[in-house]
Amino acid sequence: MSGLLRGNSPISKTYADCSGCSLCLLVCPVWRRTCDIELTPHGRSKALQNDVRPADMTISIQSCTLCGACEPVCPERINLTDMVLDLRRTLGPPPGFPTSAPESRAGLQPISSAPLLLRDRALAANPEVLNHTATLLGGVMMAGDDGSDIALALEAGAEISPQRLENFLTSLRRSAKLIVADGLLLRHLARWLPGAPLVSLGEALSGLPEVRNSLRATDLYVIEPRAYHADYQRLVKYYDGLRAARACAFNLDLQRIAIPPSAPNLMQRLGLAPQDNDGQACWILHGRRISRIVVERYEDRTAFENVSDIPVMYLADLTEAGAC
Amino acid sequence: MIPAEPNFHPIPGGLVPCPVGPDSLRGIKRQQTNPSRWDGPDWQQFVAAARERDINVRETTTACGVFATDAGGTAYGLPHGVVIAQSAGQISKLLKVAQEYRVPVTVRGGGLTTEGESVAFGGVLLDMTGMSQVLNVDPDGLTVRTQAGIFWHALAEELRRHDLDYLSAPLNLTSSVGGTLGVGGIDVNSPRLGCSADQAMALQVVTPTGEIVECSDTQNIELFQRVILGYGQFGVITEATLRIRRYTPLRMHYFYYGSLCTAVEDLQMLDRNDASDYSGILTIMDRAVNLLVAFDSVERETEFHKTWQSKLRGHGELAFGLRTLARYAVRPWKYAEAWYLLQRKRELFPEFRRSEYMRDSLMHDRTVVFSRAVWKFWGSRQMVIPDLATSSDKFVEAVERGNAVCRKYFAHYTLYCVGIKVRLEHRPHYEMSCIPPDAEGWAYGCEFEPVMDDGIYSRDTLQSFKNEIYDIGVDLGGSYYRFGGMMKGYIRRIFGDALVDRHLEMKRAADPAMILNRDVIF
Repeated sequence: MSGLLRGNSPISKTYADCSGCSLCLLVCPVWRRTCDIELTPHGRSKALQNDVRPADMTISIQSCTLCGACEPVCPERINLTDMVLDLRRTLGPPPGFPTSAPESRAGLQPISSAPLLLRDRALAANPEVLNHTATLLGGVMMAGDDGSDIALALEAGAEISPQRLENFLTSLRRSAKLIVADGLLLRHLARWLPGAPLVSLGEALSGLPEVRNSLRATDLYVIEPRAYHADYQRLVKYYDGLRAARACAFNLDLQRIAIPPSAPNLMQRLGLAPQDNDGQACWILHGRRISRIVVERYEDRTAFENVSDIPVMYLADLTEAGAC
Repeated sequence: MIPAEPNFHPIPGGLVPCPVGPDSLRGIKRQQTNPSRWDGPDWQQFVAAARERDINVRETTTACGVFATDAGGTAYGLPHGVVIAQSAGQISKLLKVAQEYRVPVTVRGGGLTTEGESVAFGGVLLDMTGMSQVLNVDPDGLTVRTQAGIFWHALAEELRRHDLDYLSAPLNLTSSVGGTLGVGGIDVNSPRLGCSADQAMALQVVTPTGEIVECSDTQNIELFQRVILGYGQFGVITEATLRIRRYTPLRMHYFYYGSLCTAVEDLQMLDRNDASDYSGILTIMDRAVNLLVAFDSVERETEFHKTWQSKLRGHGELAFGLRTLARYAVRPWKYAEAWYLLQRKRELFPEFRRSEYMRDSLMHDRTVVFSRAVWKFWGSRQMVIPDLATSSDKFVEAVERGNAVCRKYFAHYTLYCVGIKVRLEHRPHYEMSCIPPDAEGWAYGCEFEPVMDDGIYSRDTLQSFKNEIYDIGVDLGGSYYRFGGMMKGYIRRIFGDALVDRHLEMKRAADPAMILNRDVIF
């Protein structure tokens, strides 16, 4: 699996090329929370340049949220997310992560040319919201195999069998359009299926006129960071266009990097450690005069509901709320 | 330029060329100052004493390796341990223990020094970025109180939520407030506002012996004068009160010159007449000299168009492009240079016009635009940026002589020139700083920055280049922005023994064990 991933990885520069400019710190949610340079891309790069072993950097490697914010700002264009994923594969999954092989999902969905929606974990747990989202997108099929086990294994640094990966990709190859809710999976699909018609769920929904026209100037629109940063050069212009059209605010900083609503480390994301208030949602809301929060990712509602009384809406629910 | 991966061929019976760079060790006169590593007597006792006082000293390879070099990438050294700054009280305790055990403490903010000033050659590395909180924003009084380890960009992020902005900061997102106040800080609005350090109203400082002191122009005046532009010799800045302003996007204009002299004269003319809110020169070698002029308001911009623009001798982009084309058309032996200029223009110009930062022809978040371009096009694992600071009347000569040195050493380079308003009331701050003592009205600074591309240069070559630039400063009676660390050999030559000895006495009195930022200046 490692070979397959590495073989498709566009890494041209590595940690060895880090010049130590610290630009990654400015956008790193872990840095914002801890002010500990060891837990940042800069810290990992410099440690590795000084021959520190990955095993001695476990906390740092697991602390990364994989939001990808550091990549667009890196002047050396180091593929920093891949760097963390490589290090996680080196370490192996953390204790408590299921060690059994992922179930084979071959045959779970017919091979079809219809547009496919690949849900993420939060949507999978909320069938009603998922169905509404699919209906809104019009004519999309729900993917029987959404690759959620693969996304989880990628995140945790676990092995994925080549057969499992091939089965998954085969089921997607003929689809006219792939709408992907999981940002990390989207990032990898872009590599595994070069030229495939991929789009994030957030972009697909916000592109619908009925959704777009429901956005108000007093809304805070919360972009899903992983998909956004994975295709930053294109999407920064896309969302700038949305801002110009609807005049709403975004969870973007001055560098036009998306601030993640929460910053769970690997153990928290895997449910192996309790969640806590990491201050990210508060920072996004700080000083803003808004009347409604609109999230691209269903799961992000909780982060805002925990710290604010401002109404929070999932993007697909906007049409029901109506335009102002 | 030396190729990126040179082939080394051992000479039979001779020395193998230095793997750092095959142009090294060829009789270049060495004038650099390499600090020796502190040998660590009593380190373990120091660590035990520090831990007794609840100071977390990290000694792992990971913790220390992060700080092995600075942005310059030519000075390397490892601390024995790292302390992440958390409060003035913690730093006070640290410095008291360090005085007792005579352990050097090197203070680091953004680590953007280029001469190893923020590299610890043994002892403790105090990482100030641990103190990055904005403490209070006063939108009515237009001031902010902030912890000094904060990056200017992080401060801007906070201020922008209130529709405010800082007055002036280096065009670099990862400079820290404390580090900048300690050395100066130059922005393209420095011709109107002075250096960034001039914007500081009050500081909380931990002295080298551990006292926590508030200082300003009216309180503990002498400490304030020494800490501002003091290169970290007289205390650790832990908090700062700064002047701020309402945020405004910029109205940018670019004028292009083929002559450095003409461009510098026009820059000085604009500054003398307060004709713009922002001004500076950025070049591609001495072939494409760009004078940038910008405004905060339409009124100032209109006044410039009406009164001053016609007096500038620069050209618009198209006119300059045609003139450059004509110049190279009759010089076929210069086609490589012309190609480089064209490529550089194609890469650089779009970066300054990215649609997400331009709205209605106004540039938003100029520091982001400039800083990202700086790191993208000039940043590398090695950076040398020697500079010259002179009075107005000596500046053209300084730039032209420095440019000749750049031409001698490098195929490609950039000059960055900007004026700094000399604030009469801050004269005492300027003593032994980048502001030359003979500057009246404005001081002018020029950075000479080689574009390394993928070349590898030996430290000897880079040092030799820097020495030739700095020798011009000695000759002209100017000053430098970067005279610490490996360039401290120039301090006595430029400032004279009397002044340096006076500061040395003050330093000895303030820092009996001489532990704070050892080898930066003294």
